[in-house]
Amino acid sequence: MPIVETTSIFKTYRSGVFKRVTVPALVDVSLSVDSGEIFGLLGPNGAGKTTFIKILLSIVHPTTGGATILGETLGSLKIKEKIGYLPENHRYPQFLTGYQTLHFFGGLSGLTGPALRDRALSLLDLVGLSEWKKVKIKRYSKGMLQRLGLAQALLNDPEILFLDEPTDGVDPVGRKEIRDLLKDLRKQGKTIFLNSHLLSEVEAISDRVAILNKGKVLKVGTVSEITSRALEYELRLDKTVSESLKSLILPHTTSLKVEGTSLIVGVKDQEALNTIIDRVRSEGIHLAGLQERKSTLEESFIELIQAKGQA
Amino acid sequence: MRYFAMFLLTIREAVLRGTLLFYFVVGNCIILFFAFALGLSPDDPSMITFFGNPLTPRNLGNINPIEFILIQVQRSSSSSILLFGVFAVAGLIPSMLEKGTVEVYLSKPLSRGALLLARSFGASAGVAVNLLYFAVGVWLVFGLKLGVWNGNFLLSFVAVCASFLLFFSIVAIAGVITKSAGFSIMLAFLYTFFSSALESREMFLFKIWGNEIYHSALDVLYYSTPQLSSMLENSSRIIGNLPIGPNANQPFDPLPFVYSLLSATVLYALSIRYFSKQDY
Repeated sequence: MPIVETTSIFKTYRSGVFKRVTVPALVDVSLSVDSGEIFGLLGPNGAGKTTFIKILLSIVHPTTGGATILGETLGSLKIKEKIGYLPENHRYPQFLTGYQTLHFFGGLSGLTGPALRDRALSLLDLVGLSEWKKVKIKRYSKGMLQRLGLAQALLNDPEILFLDEPTDGVDPVGRKEIRDLLKDLRKQGKTIFLNSHLLSEVEAISDRVAILNKGKVLKVGTVSEITSRALEYELRLDKTVSESLKSLILPHTTSLKVEGTSLIVGVKDQEALNTIIDRVRSEGIHLAGLQERKSTLEESFIELIQAKGQA
Repeated sequence: MRYFAMFLLTIREAVLRGTLLFYFVVGNCIILFFAFALGLSPDDPSMITFFGNPLTPRNLGNINPIEFILIQVQRSSSSSILLFGVFAVAGLIPSMLEKGTVEVYLSKPLSRGALLLARSFGASAGVAVNLLYFAVGVWLVFGLKLGVWNGNFLLSFVAVCASFLLFFSIVAIAGVITKSAGFSIMLAFLYTFFSSALESREMFLFKIWGNEIYHSALDVLYYSTPQLSSMLENSSRIIGNLPIGPNANQPFDPLPFVYSLLSATVLYALSIRYFSKQDY
């Protein structure tokens, strides 16, 4: 059963003196996220990723459409008791120490007394800030603030975690620690919404990904579904490809490209690939190598965005 | 408890502002000044001395010299807390609405209305902490050194704190609409002068133009906004009636507080409605 389900969400921002200029931020966004998965939201700047998360948190009101989270409709305070949120470029009161910050936000989340104190201390330990707990956060580095923000989002032991650029400003070691922490949280059954511009990061930990562009959902699926192409192979040959060979193999391909002594062929199935290899050999050319071509999430992402841009 | 956390944080944020710290230091200096300056004559214990010299009352009518001093202290400190207080806390609503801050607050299980009220009450309480500290200090000095334990003096400061909270409704609505600390401060000061001009509208504003509609419009404005000037004037009357000045020998009038409570309630309700409808 989906833990988050959105139905045809539209969001249009109005600007200008008379609010006559309209900017569509989200167009007909319908998504569902299952319990216990890490769901990555990808898209170029201004795609609507943050707006989408903010709508789910009732920070932004949708123009039309709706959503349910944990079976409750948007706007319910009961939902927020089970949600943790790390916004992008978050700012906390500078005169507080790391511990005081967590104590304050824990209080806002409804924690009190020893439970609040213990939770704040254990989270500081979890994100590696125990030694900094008595230091005012105005002295924290960007990476440390990001870790503190993550601890803040985890204060109420949320069922769903919304993370907007969680590793922004964090060094590579810290990034890996955060990734490992998110994997641990998934093992505990938490659902995580991850909004990041670091595609490799999303690729590494997300179970499913949605690609947004100009407010529209372009594709939703697992990382392998998004990165899979029609079967494409690179055949490295010991001679240059002649025109007669090209005309011989062309009927068996879905695409054909020549790069020096390499042939890049798209095929419908393995049968067609074998036929092509036979034709190559029949021309007295030897096969020096054969490799399946698979795209990274980044390549798929760029292809998808560019394709929709041209459409 | 959730809203209390925001209320406490706001008080803390307010009292740490430089302007209120300055007020705190100045307040302490005034308390010390009275502690050293005031005394009773060893020859005549009914005679108050000021740096050892007898304090001779002039034409003060029914009021005694101690009450006269207390009223003057109350008036000057309540006017100055308005100045310092507005500078210190007018930016607290816009700072709560800053990008990166408001999102975290709104993601917590708190209603927007209660969040705004907790912030507004916290800001006013931050000012009240400073003002009441000063009032209690002066009250203790007068009690311990002169044997005058004037409860109305403390009560008048409670009235000033209430006046500030009601007046803050103007700052709150300006803050949520403009999200600008500078504009909120400017509007608060403009309103302070405006409130004073409205209170004495019959003497000045009515004389500018004799039109009845204009007069009625000024009356509506006066009764539909917090009557800051009248509230401050009446809060000092809790101690006693001054025999001098344009409003000499007027008794305490609770109506400005009642009207202001109603108008502030409307302004806070409008602020909450606006805040609840906004995207952040």
